[in-house]
Amino acid sequence: MRLDELRAQVAPGSLRSEPAELAVYSYDGALARARPDAVLLASGAADVRRAVIWCGENGVPFIARGAGTNLSGGCIAVKGGLVISLARLNRILSLDVAGRVACVEPGVVNLDLQKEAEKVGLFYAPDPASFRVSTLGGNAAENAGGPRCLKYGVTTNHVLAAEAVMPDGTLARFSQADDGPELLSLLVGAEGTLGVLVKLWLKLTPLPEDTRTILAGFPSIDAAVACVSAIIAAGVLPRALEAMDRPTVESVEVGRSLGYPKDPAILLIELDGPAAVCAREAAEVERLCAESGATTVRAATDPVERERLWEGRRGAYAALARLAPNVLVEDGVVPRDKLPDIVRRIQEIAAKHRVKAYLLFHAGDGNIHPNIAYDERDAEETGRVKAAGHEMLQACVELGGSLSGEHGIGLDKRDAMAWLFSDETLKLFHRVKDAVDPAHLANPDKLFPVAGKAATGRSFLRPPSGALSEYAKLLVDKVSSSPGASFRVRGASTRWKDETPAGAVELLTTGLGRIADLDKRNFTLTVETGVSIHALQRELEIQGVFVRLPKSGGTVGGLLATRPWPGLREDILGMRVLLSNGDVVELGGKVVKNVAGYDLSRLLLGSWGTFGVILEVTMKLHARPVETPSSLAPASPPKPSLWASRVRKAFDPDGRMNPGLGG
Amino acid sequence: MAESLGRLITDLGERTLYDAVSQCSRCGYCEQACPTYVATGDESKSPRGRNQIVRLMLEKKLDDPKAAMEALTTCLTCGACTTACYAKVPVVDIVLEGRRLLRGETHWLVKAVCRIMVTSPRLFAVLLKIGFLLKKSGLSALGRPFLRAAGLSVLASMDEHTTESPFWNLDDLTHKRENPESPAYRYFAPCGPRYLFPRVGVATLSALDELKGKGAYLDNPCCGLLAHNYGDLSVARELAKKNIEHAEKSGTEQIVGDCSSCVAHLKTYPQLFLKPEDQEWRTRAESFSKRVKDAVELYGECADKLPSAVAEGVETTYHDSCRAINPQGIKAQPRLAAKKAAGASYCEMAGADACCGGAGAFAFVNEDLSDDLLKKKVGNAAAVQAEVVLTSSTSCLIQLARGFRKYYPDAKVLHLSEFVDGALKKTHGA
Repeated sequence: MRLDELRAQVAPGSLRSEPAELAVYSYDGALARARPDAVLLASGAADVRRAVIWCGENGVPFIARGAGTNLSGGCIAVKGGLVISLARLNRILSLDVAGRVACVEPGVVNLDLQKEAEKVGLFYAPDPASFRVSTLGGNAAENAGGPRCLKYGVTTNHVLAAEAVMPDGTLARFSQADDGPELLSLLVGAEGTLGVLVKLWLKLTPLPEDTRTILAGFPSIDAAVACVSAIIAAGVLPRALEAMDRPTVESVEVGRSLGYPKDPAILLIELDGPAAVCAREAAEVERLCAESGATTVRAATDPVERERLWEGRRGAYAALARLAPNVLVEDGVVPRDKLPDIVRRIQEIAAKHRVKAYLLFHAGDGNIHPNIAYDERDAEETGRVKAAGHEMLQACVELGGSLSGEHGIGLDKRDAMAWLFSDETLKLFHRVKDAVDPAHLANPDKLFPVAGKAATGRSFLRPPSGALSEYAKLLVDKVSSSPGASFRVRGASTRWKDETPAGAVELLTTGLGRIADLDKRNFTLTVETGVSIHALQRELEIQGVFVRLPKSGGTVGGLLATRPWPGLREDILGMRVLLSNGDVVELGGKVVKNVAGYDLSRLLLGSWGTFGVILEVTMKLHARPVETPSSLAPASPPKPSLWASRVRKAFDPDGRMNPGLGG
Repeated sequence: MAESLGRLITDLGERTLYDAVSQCSRCGYCEQACPTYVATGDESKSPRGRNQIVRLMLEKKLDDPKAAMEALTTCLTCGACTTACYAKVPVVDIVLEGRRLLRGETHWLVKAVCRIMVTSPRLFAVLLKIGFLLKKSGLSALGRPFLRAAGLSVLASMDEHTTESPFWNLDDLTHKRENPESPAYRYFAPCGPRYLFPRVGVATLSALDELKGKGAYLDNPCCGLLAHNYGDLSVARELAKKNIEHAEKSGTEQIVGDCSSCVAHLKTYPQLFLKPEDQEWRTRAESFSKRVKDAVELYGECADKLPSAVAEGVETTYHDSCRAINPQGIKAQPRLAAKKAAGASYCEMAGADACCGGAGAFAFVNEDLSDDLLKKKVGNAAAVQAEVVLTSSTSCLIQLARGFRKYYPDAKVLHLSEFVDGALKKTHGA
């Protein structure tokens, strides 16, 4: 490795290769360790570019690193190479108060942005537990969540644009406002495997006028979860809806009293907004708690009293960290109504492996953290803890959930991806990686099962999705039986009316007319994309639920594929997509919080059918109407961008889907 | 390799060094609390990194003594990391142990000074007077290049960093003081207030006499912090024993010191006696340490006795000495006193609890890093337009005085004792 060549290009002392220095960049917040060959303490985006170019020329892997608080082994150098530390890129470049946008370097600590935003009456919504130390670049790479994301959304909902050094060493800028497929969402949550984020434009939100906290004790987890569902169904969206079990409360209460009720399950509900709304919703929540069988309900409005109610929740990790040297903070997601089932499964698994699981969950979005304290120096115990953690994740997948809500896949869960995604989908993920990073140098061997290695344990556990409709099968057959043909995907032809080119096979989606799943307990909707928006909205209105789609003519699929409004991205949870090779891939899932794999569902927004046919989409539902634009700009096919063309090849290598429409 | 403690008293109980360092789960929640990490963005200058370096040394998985020593010597030993840590991993003790494991022979100068402290404190006082005379005459400034050339740049930096050169030390100034039969408190004279800032010692005695009743000035030995941090543990133990014996001669009254670094060290004496054969000393050290109080704690307890707002009109703020806020958890008490006397002129500055970069010998050996931290501190004081910055440790007094001289001459630093004493005198018309 010709390190000197790189050393000559960067600030003196910023490229390190002493053993002690490599040792301290060999870990993150998870268990695995691997020493890199060198560490660059980058002092600017230019350094990052030089390093990535040098890595490309020398075939050296590079791993971007923020604060190194990752909980899935995401920023360790499994294949050696160069760690690029972004900790020194820590300037807030601008804070546009009127536009509510902050432009930051990736090494800015989440809390530092919060502090600056608060000075002007704004806040940055994503609040991962590590927010005092973790960096915004790391948050974006992991698509971090936090308690507040129930109401405000996860990191991807707050990244408006980003600049990244791509694996080929070029600097690229991606924005929600770009035409064409939504490449920005591909970079967010990619865990540094598709490039290095060097600048971020982040959405800020006005500070709420009022905040109220309610603490309620329930006789069972089931009762607490029923209450959570009742709150969401009532159209109340708390800024936080946290739950903890009795053992967790007890662990915090060692040596002090919190004054928490002694019930088996505790809910902490925090509301914010205009004072009048807050008061009304608080009354509603208190009523729903009582109706759901809460034995105790306590409410607080003043900051000191509110903080007292939070004390047990905030102190939980601290208490667990004192039980033993290490704590496995597992991170799984299930559809919200499956929370009681997953709690039972977790307890069975913990008993089987003789470990004690302390449960904390972001109950509002079905995200559960079983925590197990142990000592990594005890190999036998560590083995049992890891096995238990894996089985708990398997249980999440079996219940229709996902492997990670906010901690990422990284190294620890890469093999588990085979439980969740079909071979066809995994292959697509790999092709996307190949298209952007053909030499596999950007944080290699993360996120997906390593090719050529057999998956460990049981494979594919995801419950079968609903069968394809007869019409969808027809489309699949049509594509499979037309090798080499080019296709013209067409909805109602509302937004684009060109003729189907001669020789092209027309794939008309208007026959995809089924509402496949309207789940009013979890507030999710799966609908075939040929359904007309009018018809869908009429049906949902009858059901008393609402979806974030503007009133418009045409089909759901046509709207998503042409993306005339960036806001479409907010509520997309998953998709079923037909590719030009006849594969049907399932992207995302039914859970509202999910960071397993690339976010390809959002990527397909604005792809104009050039990536594949969106057969079905899964979206969040709302109990109250959602604000959408009253009119949409007319759409026309985007000019193909370099990265869009490259990524398209992963989906449709020969450009057979909608040739000429921006591919 | 210097002798190491091997066992530590941690927040979770007594632990071997290896168990104590293994309690660090690498979560990284300490990183932003660490001034050297924030200043450099370099993991090897973070608490987590330093813990891992010591751990790997113990596991014999790291053979890079030079870089390891660099990582450990750049630790300020401020302890802010432990305050932030969920498991309260004792990083400062771990770092000091790591340095002991890496250190060959103790530097001859440190050895000599420690020796003099043990055997003949009087000689130490005389040597200092000679030094101060040289300083007053300007000769020491001329001598700096020679000191640096002789490998004693620490002495040169020390000389450069302070303008203090009092001819009369605290022993001289309290020469005529009569100790009462049963004193209300026992004053522990730390070396800083004793030799470099005797005005602080005088103020402490005067203020405490007023607030607590007449106390005793007893000629105590040095606390041994210098030997503990930079020299030999055997010397640190010898000085601890001397202090314990010295204090046992009188009753059970509180032992009050006015340098938070020394006071914090006095409070951790039991950790020096964890070997089975030291059981008796451990018990004695525990009773000793229980008697020790930081002067600023007492000002807080007596805040209601202070005259209200007598110092109003001069913008006043408080800088936490690391060794007060972190190991001792003293935060509210000094502020109670400062706010009472300063009234509406008291203001809180940002980053009040961040290290100023003084940190004992740190400022003399890591001058660039120390200066970075100092500038940040001065900037925060300037942002609230402070005219008086209060603190409680000798190191902070030296460092902040230098910082204000250099970057913000509008402000001056005072020990909280001086401020409280001034406030008390003002009302008494003295």
